Amino acid sequence: MNVASLQQQFTSDLAGAASEADLRALRDKYLARKGGLVSNLLKDVASAPAEQRPVLGRQANELKQHIDTQLTERLAQAAARKPAADAIDVTLAGRAPFIGHRHPLTLLRDRIESFFLRQGFLIVEGPELEDDYHNFEALNMPAEHPARDMQDTLYLASPVTSAVGSPATLLRTHTSGMQVRYMERFPPPVRLIAPGRVYRRDNLDLTHTPMFTQVEGLVVGENVTLADLKGTLETFAHDLFGPERRTRFRPSFFPYTEPSGELDISCGVCGGTGRAPADARSVSPKPAERQAGEGGCAMCKQTGWVEVLGSGMVHPAVFEAVGYDPERYTGFAFGVGIERLALLKWGVEDIRLFYENDLRFLEQFPL
Amino acid sequence: MRLPYHWLRELVSVPADPEGVAATLGLRGFEVASIEQGAQPVIDFEVTANRPDCLSVIGLAREASAAYALPLTLPDRTLPPADDAKPLEVVIEDAELCPRYCAQMFEVRSLGASPAWLRDRLEAAGVRSINAIVDVTNYVMIEMGHPTHAFDLARLNGATLRIRRAKPGERIRTLDGLERALEPDMLVIADAERAQAIGGVMGGADSEIGSGTRVMVLESAYFKPSSLRRTSKDLGLKTEASTRFERGADINAAPAAIARAAALLHQIGAAHPLGAMIDRYPAPKPPLTLTLRGARIARVLGETVEDADVPKILGPLGFEVKPVEARGPRSEVRNEGTSWNVTIPSFRVDVVREIDLIEEVARHDGYVGLPGTFPTLTAPQPPPDPRMLRDRTIKQVLIACGMSEAMTFAFVEREAAAPFAGSVEPPALKNPLSEKYAVLRPSLLPGLIDAAAYNRRRERRDIRLFETGARFTRDGENRAVAGVWTGAGGSSHWSGAARAADFFDVKGAVEALCRTLGIEVTVSAAMRPYFVEGRAGDVHVRLNTEATAGGHDSAARGQNHLVASGSPPSREALRGDRDEARRAESGSRILGEIGQIAPAILAARGFPPNEELFAFELDVDAIAALQPTGDLRAESLPRFPSIVRDVSILVAAILPAASVRGTIRSSAPDTLVDVTEFDRYLGKGVPDDRVSLSLRLTFRSPDRTLTDAEVDQAMDRIVAALVSAHGAIRR
Repeated sequence: MNVASLQQQFTSDLAGAASEADLRALRDKYLARKGGLVSNLLKDVASAPAEQRPVLGRQANELKQHIDTQLTERLAQAAARKPAADAIDVTLAGRAPFIGHRHPLTLLRDRIESFFLRQGFLIVEGPELEDDYHNFEALNMPAEHPARDMQDTLYLASPVTSAVGSPATLLRTHTSGMQVRYMERFPPPVRLIAPGRVYRRDNLDLTHTPMFTQVEGLVVGENVTLADLKGTLETFAHDLFGPERRTRFRPSFFPYTEPSGELDISCGVCGGTGRAPADARSVSPKPAERQAGEGGCAMCKQTGWVEVLGSGMVHPAVFEAVGYDPERYTGFAFGVGIERLALLKWGVEDIRLFYENDLRFLEQFPL
Repeated sequence: MRLPYHWLRELVSVPADPEGVAATLGLRGFEVASIEQGAQPVIDFEVTANRPDCLSVIGLAREASAAYALPLTLPDRTLPPADDAKPLEVVIEDAELCPRYCAQMFEVRSLGASPAWLRDRLEAAGVRSINAIVDVTNYVMIEMGHPTHAFDLARLNGATLRIRRAKPGERIRTLDGLERALEPDMLVIADAERAQAIGGVMGGADSEIGSGTRVMVLESAYFKPSSLRRTSKDLGLKTEASTRFERGADINAAPAAIARAAALLHQIGAAHPLGAMIDRYPAPKPPLTLTLRGARIARVLGETVEDADVPKILGPLGFEVKPVEARGPRSEVRNEGTSWNVTIPSFRVDVVREIDLIEEVARHDGYVGLPGTFPTLTAPQPPPDPRMLRDRTIKQVLIACGMSEAMTFAFVEREAAAPFAGSVEPPALKNPLSEKYAVLRPSLLPGLIDAAAYNRRRERRDIRLFETGARFTRDGENRAVAGVWTGAGGSSHWSGAARAADFFDVKGAVEALCRTLGIEVTVSAAMRPYFVEGRAGDVHVRLNTEATAGGHDSAARGQNHLVASGSPPSREALRGDRDEARRAESGSRILGEIGQIAPAILAARGFPPNEELFAFELDVDAIAALQPTGDLRAESLPRFPSIVRDVSILVAAILPAASVRGTIRSSAPDTLVDVTEFDRYLGKGVPDDRVSLSLRLTFRSPDRTLTDAEVDQAMDRIVAALVSAHGAIRR
């Protein structure tokens, strides 16, 4: 047997050695003084022709050295792997720390607040029980204004004392009343958001709950423009949904803003194509809607766009109501429903989940 | 508004398919609800409340003509020559509620079905075909947006229509067959005897046209929107007509609608005009003219619109635009650039001031060309509302205590609220969605109990939930935080079963929360109808005089406090009162409560029997008023070692641990820095009505090393005090 084939044989034997015992057997097989394969090879060298002996001798010794090094190293590794007497099973379950979860709406609200804090916005909160003046009249919606139909109001059976003014008669239908309350008390410039709970007489379904959460925004100054509104909202949408989503700002109507606009983002389900996505699961939980979604995206009703929020330039009538000079000051306002953002952002299929407080739902969200 | 595509094409030859038209008008403020394909494609637009003119084919066609820069062809509105007839009389008695009333008599020639083309159009627009005359009135309403109404002349008492308010007690049977009681603020169209129609809302059944009708009177009027809306709401009667009138009809469309109807009736051979059209318009409204300043457009939009573009944008929408001649002193026009006088067409009831015209200018390209800029910050911002920061802290602490945040509705069932409302009724809603949401919650606990029960019914054993939010009384709203806890008191793990949660888990969370907010609280036994007797406590904070005197000087606080609250005491005043026993006495304030929810309430809310639910609720507004304002002062670390002594005593089982701690503190030297109970034992070796209590006392001096001898001496005095105050026996 020559050096090369012996080396080859060792390499393959070593690869097959699994345990410490295997490795010790290999040491005997190759290096034992009596009968070891390498020892035999060295003996053969002695009987080889004289001119070959130096070369063969050197090669055989190198092989012996190589095998010894390899086996020593592997044996050391095997020894290191041996469990200590007080070893533990590290694969057992860890002791879960006792930590609760933030509500997903809080998670999103915190995120929205941190965005606007970065842009220099103040955060204020207002009362949930309101009077007709602050919820409607001062917002350019006098009694019998048809736009009041846009918000079905929950009224109190009898007025309730308010810490901030005249007795409350209704549950606020939007956070826009905070625009009025703030501007009544403080002069311009204004740059704020006002998050809070709002109430409407909507029956519970997949997209409606009678209580939900809004964030109102208001910026007033001497040179605030519709272009500023557009830029602010686009930045906000990209911050929340990612820079790859396209945005669209288009005209709309609200009584307290003029001009008014709504912001859309490209649909996250179909990627803005309007076509049904390959993964039909994420389209809609309602079989009827899923049916309708065949051939088209049910999330965006095949338009490729989903509405995110309503906004506009503060109507001069609102400025007049709070005593701001509408010639000198301009401003923008926006209102966004946090639940709606959550539906769009996380693919939540039923808005009622936010108020059922099922821990299996709540615990899906990060702390 | 359902817009049949072919009907639109008849007025404007739009070069786009239905999708294209929908997309174009969608960008101009007309949101698209759906598009129906087929032989009669229909685009369903969601027309906003400010655009009643676009609840019509012509209105939307005008928008399309402006968008595509194509001419708008209006349909034939010439009144066919009339036959002579006995005169009809119209008397407007209330011109405030009805500023204009037009009427035309027709000889009815055929009351059969309308031709197929007309029926198809109506059907595409979503209107059911009835007969030729009703179909024509509906056709005119869809096309022009102006509702009309037909009376059977023979069924009227006399040939005079009186437009007046309803008389007290007056009633009418409307076309839907219902008998309705009218109020004196409602406008009616009456004959000599009684009301025959509710103006702009619905006609009366008694003068309805039918197969026997020979002569009909067609009404086309303008009604005051706010009054009509109130009538419609009070009667619970919303019709296609009332929807249009309440948003504001075109006062000048009243005669035009009659002419259009006459032309159509003549065309299909259904009726022919008799006599002249009556047009009562006692105080004609002059057209509104507004000044539009180019500089103002740029100021509001943030982009400059070319002077030449303004008439190009507004003209096709029906506005008459004339540049204002430069006149008067130069200073007046300086920096204002070009201005225009814009005459508003009567159908644009939404355009009443300059800003509305600026919107029209902005709308023309759907804001697409508008740059996206960012508002300049011109003043430093005040700090954020402290309530917001406080809420965040509260949530963080409770989450760290293992509780998850819940959100429940602010309205609850009356029965669920009752135990928590005390003797007063909680504020009720006038128009609740259902009995489940009848009253405003007096406490956050009913909602949380329901949320816990909901989870419990879904095989969840361990439930820890909290909520922050408003609760309500007749005195207004109050911010609170509450929590519920059932199941394990710690994590379950293979190394050992978790113990069951109890009162002290919740108490520990409450203490941690209050301490984080800078307030040291104590708990004393209390009774509540919704807590298990003997397993409830009040959470107190001791007030110093400064805190109790804290007024409501909200104006002095940060500019973002929109809800007043008391001024807080200094941090120093609240720090580590040494006498716990005294805290529960006068001069303390109850901030909330902790307890085990009564089994009857759990059973009523669907909890399985024999389970324990522990709860707390705290008044966050009250805590806020007490929070220290000054900066925290960091204490230097102790430089000398402490000495720890344990003492075990037998005392009466009913003696509160707080009393024992109080006695220890008041009899101990200043060097006592901490006293905590570390064991409590009942059972073998302890007499029945007694308890073995073990306490660990820590002594330390800030300026020297204490000696064993002096601590022993202190311990002797303390034990003596315990013996004399509580009859304690040292073990």
